[in-house]
Amino acid sequence: MDTNDLKLEEDYIDCFQEIANVAMGRAADLLARILEVFIILPIPNVNLLEASELKMALSAIDENEQVSAVCQGFIGGGLSGEALLIFNDTSFTDIAKLNKNKAIKEADESLELEILMDTSNILIGACLKGIAEQLDINFSQGHPTVLGRHVNISDLVKNNDQRWKKTLAIEINYTIENHNVNCDLLLLFTEDSLKMLKEKANYLLS
Amino acid sequence: MSTNVLICDDSGFARKQMSKALPEGWDIEISFATNGQEAITAIEEGKANIMFLDLTMPVMDGYQVLEQIKKCDLPSMVIVVSGDIQPEAVDRVKKMGALDFIKKPIDREKTKQVLAAYGIYSD
Repeated sequence: MDTNDLKLEEDYIDCFQEIANVAMGRAADLLARILEVFIILPIPNVNLLEASELKMALSAIDENEQVSAVCQGFIGGGLSGEALLIFNDTSFTDIAKLNKNKAIKEADESLELEILMDTSNILIGACLKGIAEQLDINFSQGHPTVLGRHVNISDLVKNNDQRWKKTLAIEINYTIENHNVNCDLLLLFTEDSLKMLKEKANYLLS
Repeated sequence: MSTNVLICDDSGFARKQMSKALPEGWDIEISFATNGQEAITAIEEGKANIMFLDLTMPVMDGYQVLEQIKKCDLPSMVIVVSGDIQPEAVDRVKKMGALDFIKKPIDREKTKQVLAAYGIYSD
């Protein structure tokens, strides 16, 4: 790869990062309105990586922390991939308090599952919609699946190793201000999607 | 005399989109900054009569820029352009002295409306 190509890759990454930035803002807005909180938004982390590197890409989540995760496939406009929402298990207590309509009991497994599914539904749905709109395409979403509960990141990634090869990974870490809620939204685009993504980026960059 | 416009965003793609959304007949000198620190320097050099400011940036973010402008009474009219569209984000930046807020992705029509609303430019 000569320096020209490298420059080109940087431009694409920058473009994907900005698209993710706008999409994550919309998703945060939706969740913020529902929970009546302020969500702190980071700069999205965009990387081209091998599945084996995925664990390292999850920079916002500590390896020793227990997490629960949901994943949902998406496809449309020549693009496909998987969206993952990884929840820090310590977040459940605080997010349950924010769901005012729900009765809070300590360590309520079914309530935790409900929160996990609801939050992932909001964040994944809005984020994918935000990306699709900017690229002028439509995504169909698959059924959400619980990927793991109360596991650590290594186990989560290890158990699902065969699902991903080379991928474009967009990592967005959401934190709720003044509450102990932290989750990571990960969008993984398949290797085959890269060509179309670049085409779309070229159009936007021109 | 032409107006000095500064576009401050860490994304090159976003800076380009922003400069493309500015009205065509507007007599301006455009400068760019990739973070808040560069923006402050540009204001001090008189390059930012009007500034289009992103919020989420490394080194120094948009909120910090607004704080600094207020604290040191720096000469720049700020229009925030951000993907963070939470009502509270809009509220906060306006309270911190931003003239207005434009949602990303930026579009030409909205930019024109905001500039016209504050008497900055109208054709």
